[in-house]
Amino acid sequence: MVTVTLKNITKRFGEVIAADRITLKIEHGEFFTFLGPSGCGKTTTLRIIAGLEYPDEGEIYFDDENVTELPPYKRNTGMVFQNYALWPHMTVFDNIAYGLKIRGVPKEEIRRKVLEVLELVKLRGLENRYPTQLSGGQQQRVALARALVIEPRVLLLDEPLSNLDAKLRIEMREEIKRLQKKLGITAIYVTHDQEEAMVISDRIAVMNQGRIMQVGEPREVYRRPQNLFVASFLGRCTILKGIVHSIKEDMVTVLHGDHKITGVIPARDIKVKIDEEVAIILRPEDFYIEKPNKPSNEFNGIIDWISFTGPYTELRIKIGKTAILANVSSDLVLKRGEKITVYIPYINTIILPLREAGEVAYSREFRI
Amino acid sequence: MQLAQRIKLLRREFDRLTIIQVIIAFSILIFFLLVPIFSMLVSAFIHEGSFTFKHFEDIASDKEMIKIPPKGTWIKVEERYKFRILPNGSRVLVTERILAIGVEGPDFGYILNTIFVAVVVTIFTSILGLVAAFIMARYDFPGKMLFRVVLLIPMLATPFVNAYVLGRVLGPYGLLNYIFFDTLHIIPYRIIISGLPAVILIQTLSYFPIVYLNTLSAIINIDPSLEEQAENLGAKGFKLFRTVTLPLALPGLMAGATIVFIFSMEDLGAPIGLSGAFGEGLYTKLISFKIYDEFRKASQLGQVHPTTYALAVILLLLAATAFLGIKKYVTLKQYAMLSKGGRWSPRVRRPKIKGLIAIYAFLIPLVIISAYPQIGVVLLAFTDWGISGLPYPTKFTTEYLYSLISKSEVLRSIMNSMMYAGSAVLLIVLVGTSAAYVVARRRIPGRDFLDALSTIPIAVPGIIVAVGYLVFFSVVFSETLLDPFINPGLLLIFTYTVRRLPFTVRAVFAGLQQTHVSLEEASLNLGASRTVTFFRIVLPLISANIIGGAILSFVYSMSEVSTSITLSNLNPAQGPITFEMSQLIYASAAVGTVSIAAALGVLLMTLQIIAITVSNYILKQRVAFLGV
Repeated sequence: MVTVTLKNITKRFGEVIAADRITLKIEHGEFFTFLGPSGCGKTTTLRIIAGLEYPDEGEIYFDDENVTELPPYKRNTGMVFQNYALWPHMTVFDNIAYGLKIRGVPKEEIRRKVLEVLELVKLRGLENRYPTQLSGGQQQRVALARALVIEPRVLLLDEPLSNLDAKLRIEMREEIKRLQKKLGITAIYVTHDQEEAMVISDRIAVMNQGRIMQVGEPREVYRRPQNLFVASFLGRCTILKGIVHSIKEDMVTVLHGDHKITGVIPARDIKVKIDEEVAIILRPEDFYIEKPNKPSNEFNGIIDWISFTGPYTELRIKIGKTAILANVSSDLVLKRGEKITVYIPYINTIILPLREAGEVAYSREFRI
Repeated sequence: MQLAQRIKLLRREFDRLTIIQVIIAFSILIFFLLVPIFSMLVSAFIHEGSFTFKHFEDIASDKEMIKIPPKGTWIKVEERYKFRILPNGSRVLVTERILAIGVEGPDFGYILNTIFVAVVVTIFTSILGLVAAFIMARYDFPGKMLFRVVLLIPMLATPFVNAYVLGRVLGPYGLLNYIFFDTLHIIPYRIIISGLPAVILIQTLSYFPIVYLNTLSAIINIDPSLEEQAENLGAKGFKLFRTVTLPLALPGLMAGATIVFIFSMEDLGAPIGLSGAFGEGLYTKLISFKIYDEFRKASQLGQVHPTTYALAVILLLLAATAFLGIKKYVTLKQYAMLSKGGRWSPRVRRPKIKGLIAIYAFLIPLVIISAYPQIGVVLLAFTDWGISGLPYPTKFTTEYLYSLISKSEVLRSIMNSMMYAGSAVLLIVLVGTSAAYVVARRRIPGRDFLDALSTIPIAVPGIIVAVGYLVFFSVVFSETLLDPFINPGLLLIFTYTVRRLPFTVRAVFAGLQQTHVSLEEASLNLGASRTVTFFRIVLPLISANIIGGAILSFVYSMSEVSTSITLSNLNPAQGPITFEMSQLIYASAAVGTVSIAAALGVLLMTLQIIAITVSNYILKQRVAFLGV
């Protein structure tokens, strides 16, 4: 059980900045996830914590101990690798016992501990198999057991589920979470799968291009994205541009063409001014086709495209020159070209300043 | 800040294991490869203590070195008188017409002869190798599996004896003349092939499989969809071959051709073997033989003539030129090992009857002629062919095989070889594993240099290594254990180590590339230091590659020729197998010695077949076994 603190961690690979002034505090016992697209620097950050990479600048603390220059083998972290990294020349037992042997634990105790952890990951009876004789899910459990048995100060997981099939992935993520809570260990997890991140984490750091874009609980980063990247990376959304018309307390009214849209600013420290160009973020699942009894924006348009997905139907609604995405019940029978009115509550309409958004983040939003 | 960070970075990379590995790899390679060659380079430019081009000027002004225009004609027809023994026992004097090819010429002088032979052999082997590779890669025909094996027979190194056998076949009273002139009377001339043409013939036949194997691997590795796309766009037949297949196979072809070029220049087997069969001749007017001869004299004089250094420098320059010339096409790494072919379903066709006839018309003569030397070696070793005085053997005997243990010098040479190759392999495993691991896993300055240094010996003619050792160790380590005049055997261990290192380095490197780094990182993560990780995780994972590479290194140390037969002249009692063979063929006049050499050749062949089979099984890939 340990608190992990990153201070200004920067890492460059040639011209590429893999980690850009990352500053974070991960509380003990917390399940913390780095989430982001591939190449965003999340794995690098994890490897820096493990000591497999060293930062160019910045410091890492485990509790009050500065471990920045400590080699990996002196950090006592337990890492689960993306490809599991099980040693093919050793049995399951020997794989798991390795860390204990290195630590000079007596033979009897090794045996007891290995069997105990095998019980924990539900692999009792497979200790004499070789990794190649195991299924993907079983290999995953062995990798987890190998990392847990040494009672690490912090458990590190690098996309551990990405090699499993969809069903097993859901099963395993629950199991990992259960084990982590049971052992009360600090866990740091890396994934590019937003749903996985939301399900498993206590807190998420969304990363892009080496920088942390937002840190918060899953609900917070999803419902209150603080920038365009986070808004668009988590879930689907429509982003409209507009000019701030009026500000009343925490409500902002924006002119999109001649259409007035009212919404909220997601955080106190984000400020907008009258006449400033802003982005309006609308999540498709927040739309109603009947007027709800809370203050809402109203959109009148023509159905341009219908995608039936099963649980819901996704509509692309053309409103003048722009279009929005809205999900409606899959019970509704609709036709292309039909007129439709949809509503979205003010509190679900997020207004973000455009000035902070990078061009990259902005441009990827308009693929509605 | 920048500097401080770099230092910090280096401190992290240079853990104890890395320091030891770097020291092991560099010390052996620098001390036993770079420094000797460098000393040779320096010596070539020094005369009476000062810098000079004198030795090169001496060479340039020496008519024997460069002869323009060349002396002698290619083909000469002459009449000779000869006694013919009639069936009733009486003898009559008859005239016989003789067609002599290469006996009197051409002779361009040592240097140009060497280049001439190397260029012609490279062209011939490229053509034969390319055609054979294309047939084997793209056609399916009855007997293909047999051809696949038989085509590799010439690669079994039986130095000197194979050239001797061809000499016996091509000579005035050899097998060919016996069949076609004496018995069948098909040809109007008694044909003699000697001089440079004989060298070219022998080298072409023994080296074409090198081009064949490299090209075959390149063709097999061509993604079939590339050719299919070209066909889809309308290319077919020769146009398809010229525009798609050949350019894609070119790296393999070039790699093979370059090795042949270098092997041809440093070859001693053909000149010594032919001398054994015919005595003096133009086939000895080659740089490699000239240097060898200097070593023979050195055993009495205690030194070699300084022009020898200059000659070695010229040889090195020629080899370097060949390498730089094709650098565009291939990197050094590709030479020691071929990748496994056949990842795709191969594009193999069954030829029609006409094509089939063409394929057989090419392959059958090729395998018969090129495998003949090896067959001949077996015949020499197991029959009375060597002493029968007839073009054919008359009886089976195990006498020569027995002499391997009964003759003390022969047995001693086998023991010497075992000891040198065995010790060399221990060093090779140590140096090769260290070098491969540092190159594959560490980011340290000098890594690329180490990479180059551990593969470059393939491109350095052995005879240059020998000259370098003589220059360096006889001067700096005079009267010590490492003095070549006292202990050439000890130095041979080191020449074998550096010369046969690439086999192991490449095998281990391939193993490391197939082993994911995370396997090591997992160990570090669980608390094992880099040293512990290396011994408990890395070594077990790459042990197959180490063993496979070591077997190849061992067997090609056993059959190493150029440094063995040169350095051993300085103290013949320490000579290995190949030295003993060269003595038996070239220097000894006693009856039956050639057959003892052949028995040694059979021993070498057997070892090679076992080693290649075992290492192919272990490494699970086809390795280009470049012997000689």
